[in-house]
Amino acid sequence: MLEAIIGLIAGMSSVFLAYYLAALGHAIVEKSGVLNLAIDGVFVLSVAVAYAQAVYTRNNLLISILTAMIVAAIFGMLLAFFVTKFPISHGATGLSMMFLGYGLASLVGLPARNIQGSIEGLEVGYTIDVHSPVWVIVYIAIILIGLGALFLINKTKIGAAIRAAGEDPAAAEALGVNVLMVRLFAGALGFALIGLGGAIFELSYVQVWSEGTGIGHGWLAFAVSLSAGRNPILLILSSSVFAGLVKYMTAIQAMYNIPQDLAKMLPFVAAILAMVIFMATPLRRRLAPPKSLGKIYFREEKERSEKYKKNCFVLDSSFFSEVDLS
Amino acid sequence: MATQPESSNTFFSSPSKETPIIKLEGITKSFPGVKALDNINLEIYRGTVHALLGENGAGKSTLVKILYGIYTPDKGQIYIDGKPVRIASPMDAIKLGIVMVSQSPVIIDRLTVEENIVLGLEKFNMFAPTRRVRSKIIEVSKTVGVKIDTTTEVWKLSYTQKQLVEIVRGLLLGARVLLLDEAITYLPLEEKSRFYKFIRQFANEGGTVIIITHKIPEAMDVADYITVLRRGKVVGTVPVKNTSIEEIRKMMFGEKSSEITYERLPPGNPGEVLLQIEDLWVKGDFGDYAVRGTSLKVRKGEVVGIAGVAGNGQKELIQAVMRLRHVDKGKIIFENVDITHKTTHFLRLNGVGYIPDLPAKYGVSIENTILENIAIVPTFSSEIINWKRIRALALKMIKEYEVKTPGPETPVKFLSGGNIMKVLVARELTAATKMLVAYNPTRALDEATAIKVRKIIKSKVINENIAALIASEDLDEIFQLSDTIVVMNSGKIVGVFPAEKAKREEVEHLMVM
Amino acid sequence: MEFPISMVIVRRVKPLPYWIVPILALVVGLVISMMILYVMSGGQTTPYDVLLSIYYGFTNLGLLAKTFALLVIVGIGLLVSFKGAIWNIGGEGQFYMGVLLAAWVALFTGFAFNELIGKTTMILMALLAGAFWALLAALPRAYLNIDEVPVTLMMNYIAYYIIDYIIMARWRERQYGYYRTETIPETTKFQLIEGTTLSIELLLLMITIFVLVWLMFKYTSLGLRIRVLSSNPNLLRSSGISVHLTILMALTISGMIIGMAGAAYLGSVSHNLSYPIEEKTPGYGYAGILVAWLSMLELIGVPIAAYIIGALHTAGINIQIAGAGGAAVVNVFIGSILLTYAVLITISEYKIRIIVKKR
Repeated sequence: MLEAIIGLIAGMSSVFLAYYLAALGHAIVEKSGVLNLAIDGVFVLSVAVAYAQAVYTRNNLLISILTAMIVAAIFGMLLAFFVTKFPISHGATGLSMMFLGYGLASLVGLPARNIQGSIEGLEVGYTIDVHSPVWVIVYIAIILIGLGALFLINKTKIGAAIRAAGEDPAAAEALGVNVLMVRLFAGALGFALIGLGGAIFELSYVQVWSEGTGIGHGWLAFAVSLSAGRNPILLILSSSVFAGLVKYMTAIQAMYNIPQDLAKMLPFVAAILAMVIFMATPLRRRLAPPKSLGKIYFREEKERSEKYKKNCFVLDSSFFSEVDLS
Repeated sequence: MATQPESSNTFFSSPSKETPIIKLEGITKSFPGVKALDNINLEIYRGTVHALLGENGAGKSTLVKILYGIYTPDKGQIYIDGKPVRIASPMDAIKLGIVMVSQSPVIIDRLTVEENIVLGLEKFNMFAPTRRVRSKIIEVSKTVGVKIDTTTEVWKLSYTQKQLVEIVRGLLLGARVLLLDEAITYLPLEEKSRFYKFIRQFANEGGTVIIITHKIPEAMDVADYITVLRRGKVVGTVPVKNTSIEEIRKMMFGEKSSEITYERLPPGNPGEVLLQIEDLWVKGDFGDYAVRGTSLKVRKGEVVGIAGVAGNGQKELIQAVMRLRHVDKGKIIFENVDITHKTTHFLRLNGVGYIPDLPAKYGVSIENTILENIAIVPTFSSEIINWKRIRALALKMIKEYEVKTPGPETPVKFLSGGNIMKVLVARELTAATKMLVAYNPTRALDEATAIKVRKIIKSKVINENIAALIASEDLDEIFQLSDTIVVMNSGKIVGVFPAEKAKREEVEHLMVM
Repeated sequence: MEFPISMVIVRRVKPLPYWIVPILALVVGLVISMMILYVMSGGQTTPYDVLLSIYYGFTNLGLLAKTFALLVIVGIGLLVSFKGAIWNIGGEGQFYMGVLLAAWVALFTGFAFNELIGKTTMILMALLAGAFWALLAALPRAYLNIDEVPVTLMMNYIAYYIIDYIIMARWRERQYGYYRTETIPETTKFQLIEGTTLSIELLLLMITIFVLVWLMFKYTSLGLRIRVLSSNPNLLRSSGISVHLTILMALTISGMIIGMAGAAYLGSVSHNLSYPIEEKTPGYGYAGILVAWLSMLELIGVPIAAYIIGALHTAGINIQIAGAGGAAVVNVFIGSILLTYAVLITISEYKIRIIVKKR
């Protein structure tokens, strides 16, 4: 009995790690106030990049994973740059990157699959053997990463700066934070983790690739992250639950007769319920989303030429609300 | 920016031998329609506490904001330690050792005290643990005379504690000059005296403190020098030792302060009570009580004017009456109906017009047209909008109030500030069939229009027998319009006068004590 | 560390005409797409191929018609909430809830006996379903101030899986054992206009919705309130109008309209529901977002944007048939145009200056 349970726990280690990393990355991005709707597209893209690199490098895992992380980090920095430097919608930017991610994923993956098909016996990925202690290392790694992330976010200056940028970027700027730099950092770090999650998802769980591999799993990580209130430690809990669900979906269905499709729904329902609970109860002090998440933050530079003043409507820097005459 | 050559120093030969730490020369700043500061010259010396006094609109806040780099002056030069400097941002100011603590603390609620402070300290690298700053905070906070738990999240702190955190932060940033913009005006008495002690000590150790306040006793208590500003100009600088409250009051309000500038409008004929406020307690934006047990009656056919310096609870009182702010204790009765828990919608349908504080923020939507800004008020349109009627109404308002606009379809953002105000006033006066509630109803209007609007308000009150509750920072307006003058100070009503018996000096005195 | 290059963004004295940005975004986005396709396909998909497909997409009106009409309806639906600055990303879920309830009416109730009654009931039930699904996200948005974007987004997935479950567990057709429902009865299929993919009912529905929404924004207080909700909710408050209720109405009406599009889709395009829905969906809910954004939130811009997006959709499928990449191409088009648009929209009100500091 015990062995069976250990076997189950060992068996889901790779999915668990993948979801945990992606959800943690998402949490870091959103802590800095950037609404991340690009996650699913970038996740799918990193799956494809990791796969393609593994094919091209004849299964060199390190290079494959690093490439996926770098590609994802570039997307993250672009997203952070656009929404911080321009007065544009986080949602629109994120969704368009999602579409771009889907599209690029197919373009990256398809040629690699043709090559894999033409080479006899080329398999990609690394399967964690449930009988070796590797899975234990994975679990220890998850806990260490969780503690490390918790320390980074809650105990260091950069962590305080990230949260400040997410709570109130204008005040953060006044307190001495360079919001753009901080968001670029959070975007790069967070998306690198999402990319890492995607790469692990592909290389150690799916191990094959067809068009659309990974679609929806980014959103799942999104839901996992939200249902844990973006807290690195609670995330361990929520991602283990949902990773178990995904991994043993078919078994659960067979054993307990719970329909698979309804089980798939659970993370999303849980995330919405969690959001409601986090906002409606005192938990909001700890777990509510950052106050300025997804809000346009834009510092307009003023042009102080006379011509400007003449042609512009007088209401310029909102005449009544900002200019106090006392 | 430097418009005057440095040699002009000689023209301002100061009696003191030492170089002033801050010297302002010809500072001028205009906002659309207003000259907020007009050729300000001022010298402030090391080791002194210097108070800036003035009415609303005198320009004192603008002046410190220029010193702190929030605004840049149109003209003039700032010297620090005798050297000309350009302060373009708060960062520049901090580098020069100038730190401001304002009325609304700039501080992030969900971060702890030490996190808020560490963000600005450059000697800590980005990956440094925040706890390293702890001992320093504790050390500095001892000199201020407070105990702060640095790991507390800021939202748990009181308003006072938040300001103290800002000051500690300023000191840690190496402040030589502290700008306190109304920062201590609202502190409880006990903390105030502890704070005075700190200010004294800071000055004795060679620091400089600039206090902005409108309370004369406060300035007399703590400052060495008082500079009085009026309408953007320096009236004079006096050492506290050689002056009196009366003298300062005269400087603040002008030589002719006992005269009434404008003729009083004809009196109303007060009838039955329409609005009754009983022991009202309302919280302000920072969670402390802004209105503290206010009771008030407004009758049909009378204008009740609330006089007071901005920030003494008038805004919150008005918002509570309009049901836009939660009432913590007390009752509001309108037409014998308890409206304490009714909605704004109820008041609107019962003929109440409302001119809010910050008109561009709460009174109009600048993206929408004049027509739409009228149609949105439930008084003027039911579910289906009758645009023909709205149009006729709009044209009438435009004509009557001389709104300068290409037409009623023009988006409001293309109008000037004064014309936007006219649209708002016209709409709300039309809506007010029983009562008008207003805050600064003639702000941003030129003098002629302002007087015209006051006349319209008064004639409506007299002829249509409506009630009006009007808070204004402009004493002239209060005296011109009101039948009853109520003075508000620190959330309480400190004086009620029938207009014909009210003396300006007495009202001013109650406002600034 | 001082960066040698900096960017300064300054408000324009006069905003650019509003149609410049969408057109510019289209052109720039397409150029970027062509470059991506050319590079990533190793030179196989040339710009010429892409342009040819786009030409085909824009001119093949018969093929385009159904996509166009559905996108117009979904686009209008999203426009209603976008006008109030309520960002409904849940079009997909509301659409499929509409499909589900319309299918229920067609397959399992007695209403299908009569053509008119059957179709009307389908549309009405779809309307209610869409409204209900949107309301579920609107309530937390209005009363708890929970961001509608993640909620509506996740509601899409919940809708997918509910429908998946219903197809497999309850409605699966028995005869051949396919993973799908029975085909809806002939009486409930919409009548195609000959030579096109468009049905009369769909066309009528589209026109009716267009007119009704136009009337709503032009003549009702609700329409005005939704518009003021986005420009200044404080004015709503001080005018005595419930902001909560306005939010609820904006999102619910949005869901209503999109739900009806679902009924029209079932009646005139798909005729049944296939499992798994998340892979079989043509994604009108997401494409509609693009339509609404590209319309610059002007009702009259919706058909134009729908035509452009529909044509690009057709063009993408065409390139795909020609052999470069899978469904990818459509996504690359959509992604790069939308991203370009999102960034370029800044220039309609702001000037962007790149300043290079001289050493």
